[in-house]
Amino acid sequence: MIYLPIAEMPVSVLLVLLVSGTVGFVSGLVGVGGGFIMTPALMFLGIPPPVAVATGASQIAATSFSGIMTQTRRKAVDWRMGMLLSTGGIAGSGSGVWLFERLLRLGQLELIISLLYLVLLASVGALMLAEGLAVMRGRALPTVVILKRPIRTIAHRLPFRMRFPRSGLYISVLPPLGLGFIVGALAAVMGIGGGFILIPAMIYLLRMPTNVVVGTSLFQVLIVSSLVVILQSTATQTVDLVLAAILMLGGVIGAQFGARMGAGLRSEHIRALLGALLVAASLKFLWDVTIPPRELYVLGGGLW
Amino acid sequence: MVRRALIALALMALAGSAAAQTPDGAQDLPAAVAEERITVSSDYRGSYITVFGVNPDRRARGEIVVVVRGPNESVTVMRKRRAFGLLVNGDPVRFSEAPSFFALLSNAELRDITTPQLIHRYQLDPAASAQLETAVPDADPSAYRAALVRLRRTQGLYQSYSGPPTLEDRSGLTVYPGGLFRAVVRLPANAPIAEYVADAYVFREGRLISSQRIPIGFARVGIEGFIHNLAMSASLFYGLFVVMIALGAGWLAAFLFRRA
Repeated sequence: MIYLPIAEMPVSVLLVLLVSGTVGFVSGLVGVGGGFIMTPALMFLGIPPPVAVATGASQIAATSFSGIMTQTRRKAVDWRMGMLLSTGGIAGSGSGVWLFERLLRLGQLELIISLLYLVLLASVGALMLAEGLAVMRGRALPTVVILKRPIRTIAHRLPFRMRFPRSGLYISVLPPLGLGFIVGALAAVMGIGGGFILIPAMIYLLRMPTNVVVGTSLFQVLIVSSLVVILQSTATQTVDLVLAAILMLGGVIGAQFGARMGAGLRSEHIRALLGALLVAASLKFLWDVTIPPRELYVLGGGLW
Repeated sequence: MVRRALIALALMALAGSAAAQTPDGAQDLPAAVAEERITVSSDYRGSYITVFGVNPDRRARGEIVVVVRGPNESVTVMRKRRAFGLLVNGDPVRFSEAPSFFALLSNAELRDITTPQLIHRYQLDPAASAQLETAVPDADPSAYRAALVRLRRTQGLYQSYSGPPTLEDRSGLTVYPGGLFRAVVRLPANAPIAEYVADAYVFREGRLISSQRIPIGFARVGIEGFIHNLAMSASLFYGLFVVMIALGAGWLAAFLFRRA
């Protein structure tokens, strides 16, 4: 047991290590960031949601930095696009932290976090489950590889166009800025990295080549999550260094083992299983916001 | 022997301390706490507060009441209601001056010791000081007040004991022959870390005859205290520090596992 200085509660170090290690393992196995599993897992452990969200961001910063070092070596980062996404992300996370603080003061933060997670986990879980099951039944899904890239999207028609040599694009700067903003705001409120929103949007909306998508999204996630940590530290004082350290340790080690094991495994089974797990977790959030509890009253107003 | 030494120590401590502000009554009750400062370190898992004193009445007549209070703060109580099929926290009702921690220890039921008027006056009830700040939308305020006490009770922040400790629970108030009394209360780990006060009262025939107030402080020590102070007083630096640690951890992981 260790007393968390900011959450102001004792937790079992082994339990948190186990949970963060498992989440890291799963994210390494499936190739997702893991923030959207880690934060609800912390909440289930009894960590106050504001602390879970703000502290989760520091773990995301660690994982994304670790990832970006690998990607830079492969020259798989479009820095110009990354800067643009990050600019949007900085504005978005600033707004997100502001909203977070407002909601915390109003006593509605936990409700909003629950609702956002309900939607997020249910949709991502259902997609993963469907994808995994479809592949298991032997139907190949239309993957991004066979998409013809030169298709013009809204990104090609809007004004303020700019050249992105690394991605081979000539598109408007508005969609990357807007995308960065939305993901940054979600990152601040939900404690997620947002890679699983960024990556599909970069492929389908911005038509970026798949080989630079992961590295570039990691760059945006790194900038945004680092900023969220600093902003939450100053605005709400909800970043717990001790909890963050345990999460980083467990998450990083778990992710490495997961990535290694994932290389030799058929991923569709794992994807389907994780999808089912996420749907089940979303049911818990659904339960919280729809089934009247025996105690109808709650204490609020910065009291967590 | 030990007990007598403790009493002597307590009396000596009292002689030195200036008379604290008490609600009312003669402040001549000899009383003290076992620890005037509770230390919070990284292995903190809650604590016990022990208050002891001596009934000044020579024949030890009267009843003893000990109250341990955390600082008052404002708190909102919300009632879940349905909106668009979802349960939302609606109708926030704000109370000012609700104790953040409240433990009542007595050697008999409080209602047998004194009158409701005095219970209210000396704030021997956790809800006594809580003032309603906002208008209650639909229901009566007593439902919200009761909910406040009930929720805090389930969190272990409001407690009451009317007798000596049992085998399972160390909390309670024991009166020894000769007028010595000792009150022990469990301070759970979720109780706020702030300045507390312990009030000891002696009632006889419903009237307060003697009381004493003893302050209890907290000290965050070691790494735990360092981190907390840094986060609260130098939050920008703290945030940058956490980010540096995160980047360091990420770099270390990339480095270590590339070699492996």
